[in-house]
Amino acid sequence: MKTERKLKKRLRLSSDAEYLHKDFHGALCQAVKYLDDRYGKEHTCMYLKQFAEKYYSPLSARLKENGLQELERHWQRVFSLENGDFEQFYDNEKLVLKVNSCPAIAHLKKIGQFVTERFCQTTKVVNATICKNAGYNCSCHYERGKGRCIQTFWKE
Amino acid sequence: MISCVDFIPAYNELFKYLHKIGGKQEVIKFWEYLSDNFMGTLGSLADRKGLAGCFEYWSHTLSEEAADAVMEVDEEEGFFKIDMRHCPSMGRLIREEHITPYEFYCEHCDTLYRRVLEPLGFSYEIDLSECDKAKCRILVRRSR
Repeated sequence: MKTERKLKKRLRLSSDAEYLHKDFHGALCQAVKYLDDRYGKEHTCMYLKQFAEKYYSPLSARLKENGLQELERHWQRVFSLENGDFEQFYDNEKLVLKVNSCPAIAHLKKIGQFVTERFCQTTKVVNATICKNAGYNCSCHYERGKGRCIQTFWKE
Repeated sequence: MISCVDFIPAYNELFKYLHKIGGKQEVIKFWEYLSDNFMGTLGSLADRKGLAGCFEYWSHTLSEEAADAVMEVDEEEGFFKIDMRHCPSMGRLIREEHITPYEFYCEHCDTLYRRVLEPLGFSYEIDLSECDKAKCRILVRRSR
């Protein structure tokens, strides 16, 4: 008679590993959907502003102090880490971030996870909050659900 | 795009925002929603593979989150456990000087996983007594 082998295993995980858990993008999608459905879009917007004001305050301060190169560095780090297809360039005094394939949307589609159609609003609200607190302005033009956008940043 | 490496602070601020709207109950309602709508992978693995499925699920997530932890599964003895020596989530919130952890932050791990595992016939225990030091212990047992 065949007996089923019982699993007995121990695994030590280390904090030295690279920290990159892209499934978190899916949890953010769920959070946006939850806030939209339960409290309304204004609350989603207020939450994102509150988060950006608090968490990205050091980035806003650096932007105010040192200018657009700080945002350029930030996007370089973020999109490189997540393997995004993107490019950055300056158009006159404006910084342009062209995202050809958003790594968050690409990942969620790849693993078949829910992507809220309002996902890109998180970019719009968070960017606007970071910029406003530094005396800068921005725009974000995106094709809904396509994972492509053009973000532009300039001094007010 | 909010980077996935910035998700934990975003999550933490969401809990605070919900708490401000309606107290802890509003936060728990969100955790229950997230458990029901986002934890399908754990549910599926635990349902199909039992304790080995739990081991597979957390091997993946905790590796990507760069956790300092020891996981152990013993199907003969009927348990799966995690000894979290330094939680990457709480650790991050403690480390960042300009943010503070939501008072009940670590309790999301109780609601999220218990709600998936108990209906599948597992018992779920979590010891959060040292969670302010980014340490906790989880014990999952086959209960039927």
